[in-house]
Amino acid sequence: MSTAMNFSSKSFTPRPPDKGAFPLDHFGECSAFKERFMECLRHSGYESAACRQSAMAYLECRMDRRVAQLMANEPLEKLGFKDLINEKSEEKPEKS
Amino acid sequence: VVPGETALAFYKAKNPTDKPVIGISTYNVVPFEAGQYFNKIQCFCFEEQRLNPQEEVDMPVFFYIDPEFAEDPKMAKVDLITLSYTFFEAKEGQKLPLPGYQ
Repeated sequence: MSTAMNFSSKSFTPRPPDKGAFPLDHFGECSAFKERFMECLRHSGYESAACRQSAMAYLECRMDRRVAQLMANEPLEKLGFKDLINEKSEEKPEKS
Repeated sequence: VVPGETALAFYKAKNPTDKPVIGISTYNVVPFEAGQYFNKIQCFCFEEQRLNPQEEVDMPVFFYIDPEFAEDPKMAKVDLITLSYTFFEAKEGQKLPLPGYQ
């Protein structure tokens, strides 16, 4: 971690996260989703864009766990997954 | 990671002791100038987190790089931004200098 022991008068000011803190997933309720996401990253050469579906699934898992309150319910469009949701609803009629 | 696109990252923490530990973390971004473009939507930091003896947990960070990053000529040569977290043991009465959070 860089210190402020340099000649520049700038120092790094941490900013709090927009939507607050994630409570810890002590019981690993969403670990399976996390593993799937990490697998995807490994296969895609760590390209974040390739694994957004898995990332979305992980966050959905957190939001579903209302008892543990792992994440406040937030519409997925607001979390930057708008394009993926449209894909999802287009797929559904074809599957049935 | 593409500027403007939300991304997820995981860190892992383990409490190797046989006593519960309450920690609080703060972060740092290198290079310094890239820090202003780093936006955290949600993370595990700044709040006390309790780790039981031998417990290991995944710590997620959900973030995005401000699209303005791509417009900043000073960032033209930056293709690697490193985000690091430091965990401190929370001590009673100790407060991190946070800008109006909590």
